[in-house]
Amino acid sequence: METRSQRVALQDAMVFLGAIASGTEQAIGESANRISYLAGVNLGKRLSEGVPTTGDIEKALDATREVLLRNDYLWLFEAFKTHDQQATFQESEEGTQVMLVFRDCMIRQSLFRFGHAQKGSLCNMMYGFFAGALQNIMGRESSLEIVHAGENACYKKLVVRRAS
Amino acid sequence: MSLEIAVHEPSCRGCELCIDVCPTKVFELDAEQRLCVVKHAEDCIACLSCAYICPSTAISHSGYHAVKNFYRDAEFCEKMGKFL
Ligand code: SF4
Ligand code: SF4
Repeated sequence: METRSQRVALQDAMVFLGAIASGTEQAIGESANRISYLAGVNLGKRLSEGVPTTGDIEKALDATREVLLRNDYLWLFEAFKTHDQQATFQESEEGTQVMLVFRDCMIRQSLFRFGHAQKGSLCNMMYGFFAGALQNIMGRESSLEIVHAGENACYKKLVVRRAS
Repeated sequence: MSLEIAVHEPSCRGCELCIDVCPTKVFELDAEQRLCVVKHAEDCIACLSCAYICPSTAISHSGYHAVKNFYRDAEFCEKMGKFL
């Protein structure tokens, strides 16, 4: 019974959040993305407090995944390489780049409930989360660009900028 | 089971919508036959956008992870309760 009531509460809360985010985007435009991004940064920093620092992006991503798992956040991701890419982690002028696939995502599923668009402010929260966590773990700035928001998975480009 | 993707050729109209939507360029157009073919199945991330967009429902996948619809999954809900 408790699970059922929890489920109903969760469903309502997430759908409500999706509706609020969608409405806020319409009302205040771009600023909605910024607000969600900053909320994500705070969450990423708070949850990764005390995680050992590393300069190795692969280890930093493992640590970020651990942080998500430890907190029961089902926002898991994996690094992905297409057949024509030389390596999973690629160096460019911007920094180190890696493509990530996100599968189970509570944000995507709650947006779909009433047909809200993806790539909006709630999706930016994820970008913020990575930026915050990687800032703590690697001491470097990063960006997480949504290349494709799909029905069953999303494809994103993570760039961890060079240390200045 | 590993991911498999198939195009039902008799259904394909060669509209190229799947080619346009695919983020990892899995498909290619066979211009002679006016239908799309799977060129790099290993690059598929199972986003399913091609299957959703295809007007002929010609594309099918198997062996992929279907995402959890959290408000219908009791175990998932229990975990997300902590977040909320
Ligand atoms: S979207 Fe469907 S009909 Fe159009 S080219 Fe692709 S498989 Fe063929
Ligand atoms: S499921 Fe996504 S990645 Fe795979 S072929 Fe279709 S559009 Fe491309």
